[in-house]
Amino acid sequence: MPHWRTKMLSRRDALTIGLAASGSALLGLKSLHSKGLAPSPLTTPFVEPLPIAAIARPVTAFATQADPTTVNVDGSTAFHVHGPRNVPAGAEYYWVEEREALHSFHPQLPPNPVWGYDGTVPGPTFIARSGTASLVRFVNSLPLANPLNIGAPVTAVHRHSGFQAPEDDGYPLDTFATGQSRDFLYPNVPEEGLQQNEPSTLWYHDHAIDTTAENVYRGLSGFFLNFDARDSLAGEEDTSPLALKLPGRMRTSASGLPIREYDIPIVIQDRKFDQAGFLSYDSFDHNGFLGDKFLANGKIQPFLKVDRRKYRFRFLNGSNARVYELFLGNNKPFDFAIGTDALLLPNPVANLPSFRIASAERVEVVIDFSKYAAGTEIILENRLEQVDGRKPGNLVQPGTPIVKFIVGSNTPPDPSRVPESLRPVFLGPAQLVPLVKVRRKFELVRSEGAWQINNLFFDENRIDARPKLGDPEIWTLSSGGGWVHPMHIHLSEFFILSRNGKPPPVLERGRKDVFRVGAGEGSIDILVRFTGYTGRYVFHCHNIEHEDMRMMAQFEVGP
Amino acid sequence: MRRAGLAMCAAVLGLAVLIAAKPPDDLPAPVTAPGSLPSRIDLIREQHLPDVPLTTQDGRAVRFYSDLVKGRIVAINFMFTSCRAACPLSTANIRDVQEALRVRLKQPVAFLSISLNPEIDTSAVLHAYAEAHGAGPGWTFLTGQRADIELLRRSLGAYDLDPELDKIPTQHTGLLIIGNEPTGRWKAIAALSHPTRLRQAIERVVLPVTEWQTGAVAVNAVPYADNAQASIRGQ
Ligand SMILES: [Cu+2]
Repeated sequence: MPHWRTKMLSRRDALTIGLAASGSALLGLKSLHSKGLAPSPLTTPFVEPLPIAAIARPVTAFATQADPTTVNVDGSTAFHVHGPRNVPAGAEYYWVEEREALHSFHPQLPPNPVWGYDGTVPGPTFIARSGTASLVRFVNSLPLANPLNIGAPVTAVHRHSGFQAPEDDGYPLDTFATGQSRDFLYPNVPEEGLQQNEPSTLWYHDHAIDTTAENVYRGLSGFFLNFDARDSLAGEEDTSPLALKLPGRMRTSASGLPIREYDIPIVIQDRKFDQAGFLSYDSFDHNGFLGDKFLANGKIQPFLKVDRRKYRFRFLNGSNARVYELFLGNNKPFDFAIGTDALLLPNPVANLPSFRIASAERVEVVIDFSKYAAGTEIILENRLEQVDGRKPGNLVQPGTPIVKFIVGSNTPPDPSRVPESLRPVFLGPAQLVPLVKVRRKFELVRSEGAWQINNLFFDENRIDARPKLGDPEIWTLSSGGGWVHPMHIHLSEFFILSRNGKPPPVLERGRKDVFRVGAGEGSIDILVRFTGYTGRYVFHCHNIEHEDMRMMAQFEVGP
Repeated sequence: MRRAGLAMCAAVLGLAVLIAAKPPDDLPAPVTAPGSLPSRIDLIREQHLPDVPLTTQDGRAVRFYSDLVKGRIVAINFMFTSCRAACPLSTANIRDVQEALRVRLKQPVAFLSISLNPEIDTSAVLHAYAEAHGAGPGWTFLTGQRADIELLRRSLGAYDLDPELDKIPTQHTGLLIIGNEPTGRWKAIAALSHPTRLRQAIERVVLPVTEWQTGAVAVNAVPYADNAQASIRGQ
């Protein structure tokens, strides 16, 4: 059915005005872009250690608050019910302030006024235990004055990969501005109570309409980790027969704060800086903003001193638009890949030479440094070339260093292991595909300077799919254009049934919530099934400039 | 730091709910960056707002930056009068938005429609087009030298990275580029979005964030005529 004043893309229009190309031809290919920003100042790599974000600390329980915007203008039932929350007994309460703070990306650049959760970049890492809910109040204390001119101090917090009610999902219109706050309830229970659905690495980031890209770029993102009896907080020290004993354990720092050792989340981001060393951004580049400085956990090209033993690394691509392919510079493989997006894989993938990771994707790996002599330096590098927001290019060498691992002389006992079976799946394609009655197709197209899903731009008043609670469906995501779109579907994790008609590659055989579609990546068929919550959720491109240009749609799960 | 401490105290005392009712004078001050932060407003002007000469539908000679954009809130699109597909629809959308905003906003929004076919779209042609489409005051149609308009188009981000697609003028008629020149806030949205969405996007560039519509109010703001249709359109 026609959307509001919809139209068909017409090449005939090109002819009606003669050839408008003469101007373009004269200016040449280079000047197709606006002038663009000058390269960032030079910085020396590996001068500072890799920061590891502080673990978020619970506070004393507080009274939850009603949302002033509950009632629709037409008086109908609230579209997102958000009243005083029914917080489960035993929940942990958190209080996180979105605020501006000075952050050093690199000692050769001036401190920069970033926007961070609790003023840090990345924000504090939440550590949830399955079965214990988190009630988080995010308080927006961002300044209204914004001389850096990046972002708008209005926010919505999306816990990415979170299994949570629509009103707690950070719907892009559920914004709260400077001086306001909003409570988010994260039940931390797996879908359908199934152990196979226990998540591992989630993250949280801003999702406010029209300004997500700039707000995330300015610093609003952080990790949210989930542990259960199998992938447990005690990790390698867990004596339970259930425990996987993956690398990682809890300790207390000298100042009495909890720290997690040998299990390190690393968010990789690209940024650009002006000649004075301040963060810069181009609001006129809708293709996807690329930086030329590479950050790991908020620092440009840091180093990490490691012991001679196994480590678990949770890599997140927190960039706006860049796709990476990460290698170890010594051309050794990653010993194991153990997780993709929010979930551990059913079985580890051994000796992975490299992995590709687009915006919002996560890949968990285990690297065993015990095989290296003390003093060995191993560089984590990106070898995927990318010059614009359209798509990545070829693999090139030398790559761009991101983190340097320096192997120390410590060889502490290493009780960790990588078992053959991580998160086995009992309810998957074999059981669900025979039950599929509904198939949907989502075609991603570029249209006149922006991107559409099934020929439509996001409209909050339009539902694009109405899946029924618990009914499995097959969705085909495809794109005819020359663009790569990392598509993200909220609420659940999904199986990739096929990529370009073939079985998915090895790192796409688990479950995912971000899927690279288009250009060299092709199309995918995914098995979709929503359980637990009814209501509206969005799905969208996670090239966040595309997302802000309304490359987004929504589904409403119905009973 | 002080604020975090207060917040923590409030949480402990169970008074946290009061935080949402803070008086406006208690809003946080920006962290002052040491060193000199070059003006981002100047940078936008230099990089994206070339002061090219243009001619209005009334035959008036103007400069893009100094006469049309400086100090103003603007909504800019590219069009041409013989364009059959998108342009009449975006023109109609802009007319609706212009009307809606006139009632809702204190600040005037200057609408600028720039022809991608300037040799054909003379002032007189644009004047007739504006009349035919009911363009109100505050909506300027512009023509000029092709090279200047091409520069303007690229500077404002209305280009395609694929050089073949970039040659097709209709590829550049789909954007509404919204700017608040004094504050330096610029956004773009598809001009074929529903007028309510265009209006909200403009309001979000104009209004302080504390006045943005949020939640259900934002979603359903002024439910529009095809709302009922929209709700049954899902598959
Ligand atoms: Cu995209």
